[in-house]
Amino acid sequence: MSSVHVTPNFDGWRMLILHRPHRNVDALFAQCARIGAAAEQAWPTFPEARSAEEFDVLLIDADMGHDEQFPWRPGEAPLPLIALIGSEAPGRIAWTIAQGADAQLLKPIGSAGLYSALMVASYSFARRRALDRNVAALKERLARRQELAQATALLMLRKNCGANEAYQHLRLTAMTRRCSIEDVAAAIVEEFANHGLKNADNGR
Amino acid sequence: MAGKISFPVGVLFSGSGSYAQPARQGFRGAMTAIAHINASRRFPFNLQAHHFDPAGEADRYASLCRQLIRERDVRHVVGCTTSWSRKEAIPVVEKLDALLWYPCVYEGFEVSENLIYVAACANQHLVPLLDYIAPRFGSRAMLVGANYIWGWENNRIARDILHRSGGEVLGERFVSIGDTDIDHLIDEVREKRPDFILNNLIGPSSYAFLRAYQALGEADDRFRPEKCPIISCNLYEGEITGLGHAAAGHFTVSCYFRTLQSPENDSFLKTLAALDPGAIVDAFYAQAFSAVVMIAEAIMRCGSDDADLVRGALRGQSVDTPLGAISVDRWTNHVELPAHIGRARADGSFEIVKRSHEAIAPDPFLTSTPLVRPLGRDEVRPELRVVK
Repeated sequence: MSSVHVTPNFDGWRMLILHRPHRNVDALFAQCARIGAAAEQAWPTFPEARSAEEFDVLLIDADMGHDEQFPWRPGEAPLPLIALIGSEAPGRIAWTIAQGADAQLLKPIGSAGLYSALMVASYSFARRRALDRNVAALKERLARRQELAQATALLMLRKNCGANEAYQHLRLTAMTRRCSIEDVAAAIVEEFANHGLKNADNGR
Repeated sequence: MAGKISFPVGVLFSGSGSYAQPARQGFRGAMTAIAHINASRRFPFNLQAHHFDPAGEADRYASLCRQLIRERDVRHVVGCTTSWSRKEAIPVVEKLDALLWYPCVYEGFEVSENLIYVAACANQHLVPLLDYIAPRFGSRAMLVGANYIWGWENNRIARDILHRSGGEVLGERFVSIGDTDIDHLIDEVREKRPDFILNNLIGPSSYAFLRAYQALGEADDRFRPEKCPIISCNLYEGEITGLGHAAAGHFTVSCYFRTLQSPENDSFLKTLAALDPGAIVDAFYAQAFSAVVMIAEAIMRCGSDDADLVRGALRGQSVDTPLGAISVDRWTNHVELPAHIGRARADGSFEIVKRSHEAIAPDPFLTSTPLVRPLGRDEVRPELRVVK
């Protein structure tokens, strides 16, 4: 999805339009049909019997929408969101931002706009997802920094070596075992906690 | 013809500017069709033409279109040649509930409820053109285009298809509309040595490129059209007539060529021999002519020139036009069209090297058209298929 020359294809996409029955919804149905997507309309809440996984994108109503419509907390929607905006009152736009809207369409809905909104929303959602995963991975590594320092210190004592050599040992062990350096460090620290320094001979 | 009621029809084509040649073809096709309708006993009404000339300035299309609808009371405007001018006119027809009949090939990715697209979108021109060319000449392409949406988007689609299908884009260059300084393009072609050149230039830039490429071919056989052709989606008889040997041997895809042998084309050319004997008939001309025929036929069917009724009268119900029997697709407001491949001759006509016997359904968003194409030289070529 990252390359700019790829033609996106929304054929077979399933969308849920959370909006009361209206001409704007009819116009969205017509646009969906043109690009091969299947749409359903629901109001006032996300249908209880349905799961977010059944849909590729959710269209929400900035004018009458509220947090209780969704079975998730604001900002935690597990699918791309497109906000349908009628009144450009700042409070209503702020609400769509808090929901995590990835793109928007201005009412009244005419013949065009959905295709570009879908393209922007799906790219932006995918990028947001990737960023979230990266941040989570980095946070975990940060959280385990203390273990890494402890393991390095233990190895320095045990092998009577410098910090660089101890770290190098951790790195090579991680490569051999095909796991993260933090996992190796955690194992060394745990072993030390159980058996003391003498038996902490990980990696030999 | 006294006593017949009359419906006003707007005609919005430029008589000057950098894309004047095809625009004049569209104008002439529309005006001749109106004369043809008015001379025909089949229609119990006349069409009254109201022509405004934006003189090639994109910013004038919206205001002139508004004037046609508000002051001349037209419900139907036949016109616009470039995507740029069409995008300017769309908000006006949408707001004022009129229909714009756009009779030119374009890149796709658009469906307006108030437009009828009487020409091919990319799955009906570029895709079948690449299908024909790549297996015969190779799939290493050089892309050249005019610096606006037509050039950008057609080149992007070509790049997408070639990348997915094992082809290669060796270079891509854009030229401002009207710019004839194209030596750097020729230098790049000579250096990169592609298998073919996709030409999405328009007007004088396109003519300058073809002439300079002819000179290159005279200096080096490698760049003769038999070895490395220039292929286009919108270069028709009206323009190649002035190019002579510079265009000869190069390829164009079109739903219409003057040399097509069919009952509808025979009768079309016979009509024109009487009504517009000097015309150099090509797709731009035939598409504008067909748009007017569709308007007249729809008005006869529903008894009104109301935009909604006219559109409804053409959806799924075909009309006989010079392009064949065509109907308006209810989802996209585009029409099904064949994609013939022509090789230009020095006399300004096309030899039809691949005749498409079936119409291709319009797919303006390229959702049902596979973009992985069998472009390999050694693969057995399936016939052009109807894309549904």
